[in-house]
Amino acid sequence: MPVSKKILLVDDNPLVLEMMGRALSKEGFECMKAASAQQAIQLLQQQLPDIILSDYHMPDVDGFLFRQQLLAHTAYKDIPFMFLTSEVDNQLMLQGINLDAVDYILKDTPVAVVVSKINNFLNTVREQHERTLKELSKAAMSLNLHSVPKTLPMMKGFEADFWHKPFQNYPGGDFIDFIAIDSRYTFIVLGDVMGKKWGAWYFSFGFLSYIRAAVRICIAEGNFSTRSILQKINSVVYHDPVVSDVLSSLSLVLLDNEERTLKYSGAGDLPLLYYNAKDKQVSQVRSAGMLLGLMPDGDFDEIAITPGIGDQLFIFTDGLIDTETPSGKKTDYAAFEAAVSPYLGMPFDEFKKSTFLADKANNQVDDCSLIFLQKTAG
Amino acid sequence: MILKTQLHADAVTARVEIKEANLTVADTFKAELLALIDGGAKYVVVDLEKVVYVDSSFLGALVSALKHAITNKAEIVVCGLNKDVLGLFQLIRLDKAFKIYATAAEALQNH
Repeated sequence: MPVSKKILLVDDNPLVLEMMGRALSKEGFECMKAASAQQAIQLLQQQLPDIILSDYHMPDVDGFLFRQQLLAHTAYKDIPFMFLTSEVDNQLMLQGINLDAVDYILKDTPVAVVVSKINNFLNTVREQHERTLKELSKAAMSLNLHSVPKTLPMMKGFEADFWHKPFQNYPGGDFIDFIAIDSRYTFIVLGDVMGKKWGAWYFSFGFLSYIRAAVRICIAEGNFSTRSILQKINSVVYHDPVVSDVLSSLSLVLLDNEERTLKYSGAGDLPLLYYNAKDKQVSQVRSAGMLLGLMPDGDFDEIAITPGIGDQLFIFTDGLIDTETPSGKKTDYAAFEAAVSPYLGMPFDEFKKSTFLADKANNQVDDCSLIFLQKTAG
Repeated sequence: MILKTQLHADAVTARVEIKEANLTVADTFKAELLALIDGGAKYVVVDLEKVVYVDSSFLGALVSALKHAITNKAEIVVCGLNKDVLGLFQLIRLDKAFKIYATAAEALQNH
């Protein structure tokens, strides 16, 4: 997890703000400064810091009241909070601790000590967080929950592989599934549950099982139309009150190893990229369907492709096309297509080792998933 | 509050007052939109003029509010999308679910 050190300083004394801001910036902190609790709330609406350091004595809304306001707000209540105060009154300190303020710093503490106190505290929070994450991942593993497959399907006429990097190692969010029906048919599934937050990954495991079951039920009924399968899943999701509030994109591909063809339907997914080995050309494959569960009729279509030997198909989620630029985050599909095109056509093992995917992994802003399909000679 | 709302004769404009519309604001955004619908608004114009980036959590919140609106026989339309955001709406076919206008004034005229 990258070491992020964003701090919100709240103090009505501009001198203290300036001095603390300077000292903390020197130590690698990114400082947000507010001269009042009201201003602090406004800043919090723009972006969330890793920690808040607030003065106690402030006109209008004092530090305690500010802390109470934060505790009443789900998005702000868990941000680590410290009081910067000249108060040494034990009673006041006790009151502060009841407000889940994690620590006090007296204003006459040397700045170097303040910085090390904050650093120590952030490290403890981070370690705690990583421990929790590890425990949860272990729990998910022992329940045999996986959001990506453990093995790759073996097929006569196609090769399938994938690359998946969960954001900050949180499992879930994106899910991948390969369902081999028999020696002839294999389904390829890529989904992205919208809303990556702490709770979402539990949900995406549940949702994955839901989708997996729905696909398998359709297939068991002899349904081999990707369009009709998406229609059915869409209808189930739309009418199920438990999942109807959660939206997911889905790409569904059916490989026919006998006919050497594939069928594709998408629900609110990004256009796929198709590499034509003969012409060495890259083109987009766009489906018409809307996000699962959005409308009673998802307007799905079905695209049939008969690939030539060496042709490749790439299915991916939006984490791959989002980039961090100097002016902020950007979603730019065209730029992604232009940047990735020189890498298409190469064997997937080489692509996986390429600087392109290494850079994506280093600069990711969300889950990144990519499925690779290639028509082979066999 | 991340929405700045303005009441019109039979519509509400709700301007999103942030640049980066991501998961940290998605829940608040959804709650504020739902409150407008539950308050009886039948035509809500979500103005994204100030927004430079939206992530999937925020879109999820917008779409979820749209479903709530439809259930309540209300409509949510969007306006002020920059090139990237409009591109994303088209890429994942959200332009089929939402009417998209250039400006809030245009959205109100077409009501």
